[in-house]
Amino acid sequence: MIKYLPHLIGFLFIAGLMVPLLYPILKAKLGLFLSLIPLTILIVLFSALAGLTPESLYLLPSSWGLLPEMNFGFRIDGLSLIFGLLISGIGFFIVLYAAWYMSKYERQGHFFTYLMLFMASMTGLVFSDNLLVLFIFWELTSVTSFLLIGFDHHLAKSRQAALQSLLITGLGGLCLLFAVIMIGQVAGTYEISLLIERGIHLGDHPKYRLIFVLLLLAVLTKSAQFPFHFWLPGAMQAPTPVSAYLHSETMVNAGVFLLMRIHPVVGGTMEWKYMLMLTGVITMFLGAFFSMGQRDLKRILAFTTISALGTMVLLIGIDTPQSMKAALVFFIVHGLYKGGLFMVAGIVDKSTGTRDIYLLSKLFKPLPFTSIAAVFALISMAGLPPMLGFIGKELVYDAQIQLPGMSWLLLPLGVGANIMMVAISITIFTEVFSPFGKSDPIKVKYREKDFPWYFLGGPIVLALAGLMLGLMPGMLDTLIANALYAAKNQLLDVNLSLWHGFNDVLLLSLFTVVSGIVVFIFRRSLNVHIGRLIDWFDKYHLPTLFAKGTKIYVDRAYKRTQIIQHGYHRFYLLTFFIVTGLLIVAQVNWDFLSVMPDGGYTPLRINLVLLLVVASLAVIFAVFSRSRLSAILAMGVVGYAVAILYLMYGAIDLAITQFLAETVIMVLFVMVILYLPKFAVLSTRNSRIRDWIISLSIGTLVTFVVLHARFINLYEPISVYFIKNSLTMAHGRNIVNVILVDFRALDTLGEITVLTLAAMGVYSLFRFKVKKNKSKKEL
Amino acid sequence: MRNIILEKIVKLFLNVMLIFSVYLLFRGHNNPGGGFIAGIIAATGFIFYAIIFGTGSVKKMIGLSSRKWMGLGLLVVLVTAILPVFFSKEVLTSLWVPGDFPLLGALHIGTPLLFDSGVFLVVSGMILTIVISIMEVLEWN
Repeated sequence: MIKYLPHLIGFLFIAGLMVPLLYPILKAKLGLFLSLIPLTILIVLFSALAGLTPESLYLLPSSWGLLPEMNFGFRIDGLSLIFGLLISGIGFFIVLYAAWYMSKYERQGHFFTYLMLFMASMTGLVFSDNLLVLFIFWELTSVTSFLLIGFDHHLAKSRQAALQSLLITGLGGLCLLFAVIMIGQVAGTYEISLLIERGIHLGDHPKYRLIFVLLLLAVLTKSAQFPFHFWLPGAMQAPTPVSAYLHSETMVNAGVFLLMRIHPVVGGTMEWKYMLMLTGVITMFLGAFFSMGQRDLKRILAFTTISALGTMVLLIGIDTPQSMKAALVFFIVHGLYKGGLFMVAGIVDKSTGTRDIYLLSKLFKPLPFTSIAAVFALISMAGLPPMLGFIGKELVYDAQIQLPGMSWLLLPLGVGANIMMVAISITIFTEVFSPFGKSDPIKVKYREKDFPWYFLGGPIVLALAGLMLGLMPGMLDTLIANALYAAKNQLLDVNLSLWHGFNDVLLLSLFTVVSGIVVFIFRRSLNVHIGRLIDWFDKYHLPTLFAKGTKIYVDRAYKRTQIIQHGYHRFYLLTFFIVTGLLIVAQVNWDFLSVMPDGGYTPLRINLVLLLVVASLAVIFAVFSRSRLSAILAMGVVGYAVAILYLMYGAIDLAITQFLAETVIMVLFVMVILYLPKFAVLSTRNSRIRDWIISLSIGTLVTFVVLHARFINLYEPISVYFIKNSLTMAHGRNIVNVILVDFRALDTLGEITVLTLAAMGVYSLFRFKVKKNKSKKEL
Repeated sequence: MRNIILEKIVKLFLNVMLIFSVYLLFRGHNNPGGGFIAGIIAATGFIFYAIIFGTGSVKKMIGLSSRKWMGLGLLVVLVTAILPVFFSKEVLTSLWVPGDFPLLGALHIGTPLLFDSGVFLVVSGMILTIVISIMEVLEWN
């Protein structure tokens, strides 16, 4: 069954593109219908779990690709399965959830298009076996994320957040492209399976540092690591399903995924360890710290997500088997609780109309099931038993303790971050859900029974999954062992259990919980200090700095462009002519005699001479004419004369085209001419003299170049090839047309695209005018 | 002011030009003609029609708006361009249907004709779009 995975991913893409056609038929049922595809993928992936052993690897090679090095082959191992299961599983609930959440939005169809395209690219990313293909999917996730963050594009804030995230992740994407190409060049293959099979490790390569820095930048930007973390809270402008899916579960974890995927090839060096540990630990602590001072539920969750991502990067940086195992478990834990909490935040928002935790209170009564799901998720976030979060946190502590050289730094910061997580979990519970306390319950617009089942189902199922895995963690053993085999390239025994016995890790956990409660009790006075610190940080507020930086850059670019693109047609022509003239002057051979054809002039053809005389007279008439109409008609004469010239030399197609184009232009001119202002002489004497000089000299020079051109033949003319092969290869006798539609079809494709764009430009310009006129009349 | 003779002639003219343009489109591969030329001729026919009867009647006659016409043309060209990929050839390679046909004899029918038809649609659509927009601004009718 698993061999149909590529087809299913393709089907996701197609479904996304078909949404505009499906939406008018299905309307509100669209989300329910679309959710069937991730559900199918989930089932298919579950079927792959059945035969899984720690070493098994399933490759789906493909000979299809856009380049010889780039095959859309797929790779199914424990690592991609863990990510794929979460992507499709949570994706299924998110699509269901969005079906109701987005039902009031006007552009629902657009939303589902973007969401399905994102889901397809994300699934493709984790399963692809080729680094170039992985890069393409990686970029697609950035683009769809941009579209989804800016979904409320009438709000300036959304647009800015979307642009910010696109610029930052786009920068990372560019770095990834370079890194991927360098890896491919050094290793000689882009296939991940071949890279691992051949045991290629680039650690000793002289270019290793460059490759690593590029990869690091890609990961840091995508996974919102310090100092690029600031785009993630901004991305909370997106509708809640998007925040729940892209910005906590999937897209931001792509960086973590990439690190694990590429680990056998570039991992394990000193640079890898120290850089990842450093950024990871800073991000982990800062994320947790900043989440304390927030009021908006979604922003709190965003900062805890940053902290969690930092934890994962840190664990990958520690690079011991324990830490990798911890990172994988933590990824699953985080996926389960954070997706649920975001969906809960959306439900709370829909139900009460606010997400401010200090305004919300006592939601247990109107939203009982949601609150229970939220409590489970919060327990998991705090790392308490019996949820899977407990196991995850124990493993993280374990990994941090077992690193002798660095644990003095990592352990306090790790414990500190977790203390804040505990405190935040308790804060959210007491402020938002707890039925106890003195505050008045908030007014709710919707109660739980007003919501459909598919809107509420996601958080409950995810919370139950977290609980079930916490009680029976053995179910994950094989999967994680296989993922570790893929990431570390060595076989390890994995035995997850809820109870580890009484050891120092458990003591640390106890200490964390107690301190968390203490922090919670003193949170009001602490928040004052934290607020002060945040204010101090705001002086160096990264989003503002970033916005300022881009603004300065754009302004500069605008000013520079203004120098060249001033908008005066006459000066454009002037620049163009002068530059051309200078180029010719610099290049031309001033030996006049050599230009003259040596011997054997063709006999003078009287009809040709007549034609040229007529054309020249027409030009002179056009220049001196005082009436627009006669000038244009004279230009028409020139055009027709040129067409006849083509005809005389046998270029029939060209001649016909010229005739027709001339005619259409004449018709247009005659139509427009009535409406033009009176012919006036606006130029001064000096400017006219200048124009005379320039035009005469350019004319002379061009004549010269044409005469010269006969003698310059750098390559054999390609026309010979066309003439020879037109009939045999392209089955056409009309060479001009064969060139247009066959030999040089790409050029034609470009040309007609330009034509279309030009026509659309004209259309929209005039449309604007027409509307203006109409509105004036109405007034 | 109505001019019956002009109206009759323009109607006739349009038919002749459309048929002629299709003829040019089909003969383009072996004889002078092709999508560009045919497109301009078809558009010219419509322009004359629009000058006499107004843009509204042309819009009604072509059914699809001229902008969609262009889009359709681009789509045809793109499909033609991508089609060879599914026959494991490079993008934009021409495909040919070989063989003899009853009544018609040996013919070479291939994607270049499809490509040319796309060009035809884009060119005529472009000219019509531009001319119709200009005429509407000038309030020709």
